[in-house]
Amino acid sequence: MILAIALVLIAMVSAEHAPAGAHAGSLAALVAKGEQWWKSSPDPRDPVACATCHYDPDETRGWAASFPKYRPLPPPEGRVMTLLQANVEAVQRHYGLPDAEQPALAITAYLTSRGSGMPVSPGIVAGQPVFESRLRVLAQSVRRGERLYTRRCRSCHDAGVLAPAALLFPHVVDGQVESLERFLERHRPDLPPLGWNAQSSADIIAFLKSKLAGRQVGGSP
Amino acid sequence: MIQTVFSVSLALWLLALAFSPGADAATVITGIVRAQSGHPVPGLALLEKGEIHNNRWDRGTLVDTSGRFRIELVEGGQYGLHVYASGYIYKPNAVKVETGKTLDIEVVLVPEPTRANDPVIKRVEFVPSEKSKGTATIIRMEVADPNGILGPQVLAFDAATGRTFAMTPPRWVWSLKSNYPDGVYQLEIDTSKAPTDPRDWHFVVADHKCNTTDILSFPHEPKPPQVIRP
Repeated sequence: MILAIALVLIAMVSAEHAPAGAHAGSLAALVAKGEQWWKSSPDPRDPVACATCHYDPDETRGWAASFPKYRPLPPPEGRVMTLLQANVEAVQRHYGLPDAEQPALAITAYLTSRGSGMPVSPGIVAGQPVFESRLRVLAQSVRRGERLYTRRCRSCHDAGVLAPAALLFPHVVDGQVESLERFLERHRPDLPPLGWNAQSSADIIAFLKSKLAGRQVGGSP
Repeated sequence: MIQTVFSVSLALWLLALAFSPGADAATVITGIVRAQSGHPVPGLALLEKGEIHNNRWDRGTLVDTSGRFRIELVEGGQYGLHVYASGYIYKPNAVKVETGKTLDIEVVLVPEPTRANDPVIKRVEFVPSEKSKGTATIIRMEVADPNGILGPQVLAFDAATGRTFAMTPPRWVWSLKSNYPDGVYQLEIDTSKAPTDPRDWHFVVADHKCNTTDILSFPHEPKPPQVIRP
């Protein structure tokens, strides 16, 4: 029964149209594009790419599973981010691209495919130290996300049933690849938008992912 | 009788305290720094206390020619360990060390492929502070970045005291994520108790993309950057 409800919800998610910020093509093409962005800089004068420093595949394999998490940027910029939001920040900073969403979405798809099968563990990267202060900030984000979810989503969707659908993003709708952040932004046009790159989006996703600890990245609902 | 029991108990308690495991154990971060090819790389290992990238610089040490370093800490906790070496992109590592324990880590550095985007230290000078009547020395360092994206890591390290300092920019900067200006950065050192020796000072600068200057050590005469072949 629960599986049936989840499938219906996912079908609803998939049936909505015209996602802003989406990437035309298949998910496989996006992953390939993401690998390209990961391995080569767009600026020939500055050939340092993501993979120049993060060259070890074992290092990055657990990244998708660990988001949302606290990103320790210089104060006061540090905050809980989704993988897409963290990639946007990194692409803007390292590649100097003013419109970083598309490259960041592609890199997110690539890192998510790299992390396929890893157990979801928000805030914790396998083999890395666990910082209690960061987990406390993440817990605050989850609580904010739960309040937002209650106001915006719960009347139609039970969180426990819907949460596994969060593992299916980025996903393809009508030949367009869309992020979970963009989906959440456009899903309730009757309410003030969350902002795909805002803290509020990260909070709702942190809440949903908190219900998925231990499940596999890229797993079926 | 009571006095004897009390004295013996006190002595036993003090002995237990003195010989308890970890009572005198140092809190230490040790490590080895290598290039991707495996060879050891000398340089600097500098620490922020607390969350990484908070720009609250604390201790530091030189990484020797065998790539080894050791930093003794006052207390355990969370630190941002940044490792720098001439010709390499600096490596930030968030670490956690428990009080009384030693954390041993390996750091692998990647060469900066062109050096064309690295910030440059143009000159360093040590001058007595006129305001403080000889009780302070001002270190001035002129820095430029070809891309105008300097970050807050305009750093001075005093090997005599093991202290790391972020130098003060030539003008006020809005936030740590802002692009820091080119120009003369300053650091005032209290020399009222002991003079400071320029031979002990080492300097390094990084931009927001982790591009890093060569480490400038005494006699603080900058040389053209060299590309290191991996």
